[in-house]
Amino acid sequence: MKIIIANLGYFIKETFTTLKTNRLSNLLSFVSITLAFFLLALVITTWIVSLQVIDVMEQEAEINVFFYETVDEPSRDWVAASISDITGVVSTRVVNEAEALQRMEEILGEEAQVLAYFDENPFEAFIEVKVDLNQSQAIVSALQEIPDVRSIRDNQQVLDQIRNITRIQQFLGTLFIVAAGTATLVVISHIIRQGVYHNREQINTLRLLGAPESFIALPFLLVGLVMTVGGGLLASVMTGAAINMGYTQMSGPIPYLPLPPQGLLMWNTTLVILLLSLLLGIGGSVMGLKTSKET
Amino acid sequence: MITAKNLNLIYPDGTEALKGINFQINKGELVYITGPSGSGKTSLIKLIMGAEKPTSGQLIVLGHLMKTENQKGIRGLRQSIGPVFQELKLINGRTALENVMLGMRFLNIPRSQWKTKATEALDRVRLGHKILSVAENLSWGERQRVAIARAITRKPSLILADEPTGNLDVENAENILNILNSLRDEETAVIITTHATHLIDETAITQLIHIENGLIHINGGLHS
Repeated sequence: MKIIIANLGYFIKETFTTLKTNRLSNLLSFVSITLAFFLLALVITTWIVSLQVIDVMEQEAEINVFFYETVDEPSRDWVAASISDITGVVSTRVVNEAEALQRMEEILGEEAQVLAYFDENPFEAFIEVKVDLNQSQAIVSALQEIPDVRSIRDNQQVLDQIRNITRIQQFLGTLFIVAAGTATLVVISHIIRQGVYHNREQINTLRLLGAPESFIALPFLLVGLVMTVGGGLLASVMTGAAINMGYTQMSGPIPYLPLPPQGLLMWNTTLVILLLSLLLGIGGSVMGLKTSKET
Repeated sequence: MITAKNLNLIYPDGTEALKGINFQINKGELVYITGPSGSGKTSLIKLIMGAEKPTSGQLIVLGHLMKTENQKGIRGLRQSIGPVFQELKLINGRTALENVMLGMRFLNIPRSQWKTKATEALDRVRLGHKILSVAENLSWGERQRVAIARAITRKPSLILADEPTGNLDVENAENILNILNSLRDEETAVIITTHATHLIDETAITQLIHIENGLIHINGGLHS
């Protein structure tokens, strides 16, 4: 460790000398690594976003219960009370006609003026039932047994679809991570092998002078790290810009999409990419050094 | 310091480089190993450096039994040797100073002393004015002296110079040998291989080992 600290400047200098030896090839490799990490970051970003959407939707899981027109207000309260007794129901609340109209006006925003064309409030009262999503099937069955209930609307189907999409996305994402990771490992180990080949005389001299293998290997390890962490950093900056653009584009057309906070999303993605780049850099360098020794 | 008993080296292709040689080198000696090209001089140096293992017989270098020594032991041994290689093995693109400092970077020499020691060593080989010259811009003789400076800064117990006069004119060759001869002291032995026997100062040396066809022909103190 003492030797490593004392020679930090030397190692850094050697690292950049090695990088300079195959300038064009190393530059192209760096671009490839950056692009691989950028695509990886986009996959991770959409993954995080869809997990967040599911999470929020699951928390907000609710069933809307509508009555026959003949049901009066005291009866609605009685129905709400009996729904509360069903296992898995978290809370119930009666939403009257006026509140239903107000909610729609809030959702429509500027477009709400279309509601002015109606002579009467077109919305009806309903009971908002917050449920434990795992028991929603049983709750729906129990609700159908209540005589005053005309219809039930739940978001189970939507959630199931999002879950399916996320499962496919997770599978493709994992495949992509494995593919991009393998490609990065191969590229880095190739760069290291090239570096070892170009510096074989110097390596041989150092061995004859009694240099420890760690002393000889460290600059090559740093080459791998500079390439991957540098690529990871650049990819993170590009991802940050892409997330920013995506949020700006989505905030208009889909204002109520439960996206995670932009800063948190950027931070998480950057952290994952930098961690991956660190691991792949070390892995690729070790692989390159090992295969150089064997050949 | 070095003991060889019935030492044999046969390369994988069947070439017998050394055939049952015996010798002993002690602390503070100045030893010349002579012989024509291909006689086995470099093979002997390789054995002493641990670059080859003896096929049979015994070779002990600075307490290391070379036939069975592991990589860590070989590394430790090499750190105690100041080698001057036939092909010099300087790092191109680096200055004379950087090349000399490289030999100390992984030894137990404090970092604060690297530059001072390297500068002093380059002064000693009369290259103080070229410490910042890049290796490939130096003449062969100058490069030879940088390699010697690299060897002496390591405070070695043994200095090994393999054909240091090759590629040099007589004047430069004599200069190099004079520098190498002067490195011998009570603690440091100097071993020099050469085929240029006419350049050897017989008054300075303690032992001459002549190898021909892998056999030792002359072995003994000249002035004892």
